[in-house]
Amino acid sequence: MPRMKANGLNFHVQQSGDGPDVVLIHGLTGDLSIWFLARTLATLAESFRVTAYDLRGHGYSDAPETGYTSLDHAGDLLAVLDELDVRKARLVGHSFGAVIAMHAAVLAPERVEALVLSDPYFPSLRHLEDLSRWGHWQNFRKEAEDAGVSLSADTWYDLTNFFDQVLHLDDQKLLAFRQAVGLPGLNRVLRLAKTTCGRDSKLDGGLSAEMIDEVSVPCLALYGEYSPFLSTADYLVQHLPRCEGRRIPDAQHRAPEENPRAFNAEVLAFLESLQPAERQKVRS
Amino acid sequence: MSTATDENELLDELRQVFRDGLGVEPVDPITPATRFFADLGLASIDAVVLGEELQKRYGRTLPFSGLLAELGGRAERDLTIGELVAFLQRTL
Repeated sequence: MPRMKANGLNFHVQQSGDGPDVVLIHGLTGDLSIWFLARTLATLAESFRVTAYDLRGHGYSDAPETGYTSLDHAGDLLAVLDELDVRKARLVGHSFGAVIAMHAAVLAPERVEALVLSDPYFPSLRHLEDLSRWGHWQNFRKEAEDAGVSLSADTWYDLTNFFDQVLHLDDQKLLAFRQAVGLPGLNRVLRLAKTTCGRDSKLDGGLSAEMIDEVSVPCLALYGEYSPFLSTADYLVQHLPRCEGRRIPDAQHRAPEENPRAFNAEVLAFLESLQPAERQKVRS
Repeated sequence: MSTATDENELLDELRQVFRDGLGVEPVDPITPATRFFADLGLASIDAVVLGEELQKRYGRTLPFSGLLAELGGRAERDLTIGELVAFLQRTL
């Protein structure tokens, strides 16, 4: 079960629990371990059958050279659901994982019951946000600098540029970088850096603002209190027909890590509010 | 037939799982004081896969996700091999 072939690639998949299906989708440069560290998988598995997987290029899944737009990732997601025989699921995506979830809801609305959108920034809505204020990337720049990768003031929030620099580190800097992120970490960054992930993730992949506006399944726009993307949060609540907005206290862009307890509680409350009427009656 | 719960036997088994399951060939031998992240250079996703490998080896479900969740709450975010041995002694 932990390894599965879908869409021509091998995926690392974890599943736990019983009940309606929930799928957890991590963000770029992350992997499914976040759902273990944050206890999200265990919490939700008490009421749902929860599936988490490593995106292509990430964790223990295959890393093809190309195909990293949200369209490609959404194709993977639907193929993984096919393999698992999951007809319909509630999708919980963090950051770019939420963009993938949204794209899947546009491609196959009949298979998506609801969406939890945790702190996404959509390429087609980039005009709403000022990336230079993105604290997450500012931290990232500092982490990269400590590891020997200097990102210029103009490009420091650019994943492509970061990958490019990592690929061209001299031996001494490579050693420093390896010491900072560990050998498997280094190998994984190098693996992803050789793909089109950095470039592709900036493209809208066909997910236009008009398409986003029409997603009519129940949505939760869940953003950190200090998220750099609160304009996107407001946009989603205003434009989508059935989107409610919630904020996670004491969190910036990485609420599942920064405040896992509050994050899990919000996700669980929202997902449970969608239970069939019968089950709700039993619970009350 | 009997499952090893002896510390040294478990340590040996863990060394095998690290080598065969995770492809880790450490420069220094793995001891109870070896740290999963700082010394072996592994990441949290490797801990998830270690859990899979251990469950495969022992043919049963281990409360590994509880261990990972506890790890997520630690300031240091590291785990010694000795702690893993203790975990196996508790749960096997």
